Amino acid sequence: MNSRLVITGISVLSSIGVNKDEFWANLTNGVSGIKDVTLFDVSKYKSKKAGEISDFDAKEYLGKKGIRHVDRTSLLASSAAMLVMTDAGVSHETYGEDELGIVIGSTYGSIDSISSFDLEGLEEGPTFVNPMDFPNTVLNAPASRASIFCNATGLNSTISTGTASGLDAVIYASDFLRLGRGKAVLAGGVHGLTADIFWGAYGSGILSGSRSDGIEISAPFDKRRNGLIIGEAAALLVIERLGDALERNANIYAEIKGYGCTFNPDKVSHGNINTEQGVRCITMAMEEAGLNAEDISYISACANSSVTGDKMEAEIIKDYFGDCVEKVPVSAIKSMTGECLDASGSLQCVAGVLAINNGVIPPTINFQEKDEECNLDCVPNNSRESDVKNVLVNSFSDTGNISSVIISKYS
Amino acid sequence: MDKRIVITGLGVISPIGNKKDAFWNALISGTSGVSDVTSFDTSVFKVHRGCFVKDFNYDDYVSNGSGREIGKGSQFAIAAAKLAIEDSNVGLNSIDPERAGVSIGTTAGEIQILEKVNYVRHEKGDDSVDPNLFLKHPCVNMPSNISIEFGFKGPSTIIPTACAAGNYAIGYACDLIKLGRTDIMLAGGSDPFSKVAFVGFSRLNAIAPDICQPFDKNRKGLLVGEGAGMLVLESLEEPPARNANIYAEILGYGLSCDGYHITIPHPDGNGVTSAMEKALTSAKIKPEDVQYMSAHGTGTVANDKAETISIKKVFGEHAKNLAISSIKSMLGHTMGAASAIEAIACALAIKDGVVPPTINHETKDPECDLDFVPNVKREMQVDIAMNNAYAFGGNNSSLILKKFTG
Repeated sequence: MNSRLVITGISVLSSIGVNKDEFWANLTNGVSGIKDVTLFDVSKYKSKKAGEISDFDAKEYLGKKGIRHVDRTSLLASSAAMLVMTDAGVSHETYGEDELGIVIGSTYGSIDSISSFDLEGLEEGPTFVNPMDFPNTVLNAPASRASIFCNATGLNSTISTGTASGLDAVIYASDFLRLGRGKAVLAGGVHGLTADIFWGAYGSGILSGSRSDGIEISAPFDKRRNGLIIGEAAALLVIERLGDALERNANIYAEIKGYGCTFNPDKVSHGNINTEQGVRCITMAMEEAGLNAEDISYISACANSSVTGDKMEAEIIKDYFGDCVEKVPVSAIKSMTGECLDASGSLQCVAGVLAINNGVIPPTINFQEKDEECNLDCVPNNSRESDVKNVLVNSFSDTGNISSVIISKYS
Repeated sequence: MDKRIVITGLGVISPIGNKKDAFWNALISGTSGVSDVTSFDTSVFKVHRGCFVKDFNYDDYVSNGSGREIGKGSQFAIAAAKLAIEDSNVGLNSIDPERAGVSIGTTAGEIQILEKVNYVRHEKGDDSVDPNLFLKHPCVNMPSNISIEFGFKGPSTIIPTACAAGNYAIGYACDLIKLGRTDIMLAGGSDPFSKVAFVGFSRLNAIAPDICQPFDKNRKGLLVGEGAGMLVLESLEEPPARNANIYAEILGYGLSCDGYHITIPHPDGNGVTSAMEKALTSAKIKPEDVQYMSAHGTGTVANDKAETISIKKVFGEHAKNLAISSIKSMLGHTMGAASAIEAIACALAIKDGVVPPTINHETKDPECDLDFVPNVKREMQVDIAMNNAYAFGGNNSSLILKKFTG
């Protein structure tokens, strides 16, 4: 932990905004990006909604060339990568050869491309599939495609830890920089909405509105919550070592002060909530950051409106923060964006960075009925002005992956 | 930051043998793992060969027989991990689960599950698919299944950088130990045979009709393979109380990206040379210090030529002194597992003083004019080995292993 790491660029493509200003205005005004799905047919499902990006045109970011055979997740990743380089004022030339890297969290976005390729082979015969579609079937395609658009010839890696992967990409990039293996890394997660993932999530019963005649709503921490709504997004950060950022007079948004990563092998049990590894993860991040519980000004929660997931996060937060818990605002931006899977963790990071820079905490919208099991201060429905110094970002994946990052005001 | 990382256990599941000794004996004897593809009908293809794991029964490796349904990629990886832990003598009970993690690489994860899902969709329609089966497909299941199997509570991650993934995963495992975030890691790669890869590579005319002949003038392509390689990695600074068998030390690694084309390697080999140079720098060694290189050597015309050019660029005159082999000539291309299995071969070459051959090497290619240890193993002392792996998307990696001398 010798070198301090700072965030010098942010980019976001989401259902509530395709640039950081629009995203932030909508996030703090409590605007929801969740609406009826238009990208594919959902008529046979009871769930109809998603956090779809309705105004995404890859040509605006990438030009017309080289995008024809590229899938949505890769287009989102590449576009966000171009945006974040501009925001940070970095390019492949800033630090000399092979010093600009890209780390993308992506687990689910390419699955539709793999299935399409496979199904085309089954339907048309394998000798008729288009070889141009084959590269979309490798899981590292989003990061690799982005490297071509960005000329980023340094580190290029992909992390696939489910809904933790966006945050884990930030952690991986940070580890890499701490060991001096590169100078600047574009890091974060991406998830493009596809029919396959909607179908799979619906079938497994995790989507809001998929059971009985319940309402379809993303209402984290609310008693009415009954499942998640899927969203799509790309959210990237540019991370550099402080010394390098200062030397090139970069705009420093915030500092990455610490992080933790644990795994909960016992989570896959029957209704038993085991908070131990979640608490240990937050503890690791806090110790690394040298902070105490009362130093946290805002928690950007992982909560996505799932019945047990939100309860688990609430219990973990209560277990760690103890008596301080009443004083810590915890909000779930997934109430507005939906569960953006691979992109969620880095989207929460972007929200945290903007909270620090604007002195405002975004709300948890759709909050009506208090749930005693999730009795946190979830900043209900209206944003709140606050001097935000230290933000805790959580990603607790259904697969057992648990990650926390602390982002702090730079001074 | 100065922690030294050592390899203390090895486990392999491969087309030429499962378990370390069977694998190594087959490898240095020049055994080919190629056979006809029987898991699906290949009659409409021009090519019909692949490299399959044989005699694999998952229940032989797990005693609890929990019956949890998991994909074959996880089964291979868990089996290889069990073998590696046994080999290391570390004893699961003596591991602090909070200080133990998993870092694995893959190309396609549990692809066979998705292929099965798609088959049912195609035959019977979407509604006939068991959604729980679909949920077992995403590759995050692989590290999760391993961590659950061993009860590990440290970082559990997967890096799917295609055919270079094993090296990426091993490199990150080393970093996690160096940064003090874990003490012991299970690291490696796993991929079950992928029909999607077979279809894709055959459409790119990249599959060899019969045998895989890396660096041979008449090489005709790669062979899709399957398998897993897992290593136990530990920090030397916190030496285990037991009498550990140290195979080798991992000195460093280098990663780079072509940023050029999604499937075609950079014609000047720029990214590949950068990865090798970064690895040498990170290991604080000179090119002349390397004696053995496990090449990426897929057996395709473009790869082997570009790789030869790159090796010459980085090693200059010393390139001719290097013993270089591609064990893909025997195993086929085991995808995300390849570089993990190749790292295991490097560790064993260092330990035993024998380097495996490149088999099926019949005709010299003037464009690949280096010492590829043709057809017959070579007894030689290996102090330092370099393990190279490249991937679709231009993801390049080089890992450096050194004989452990205390």
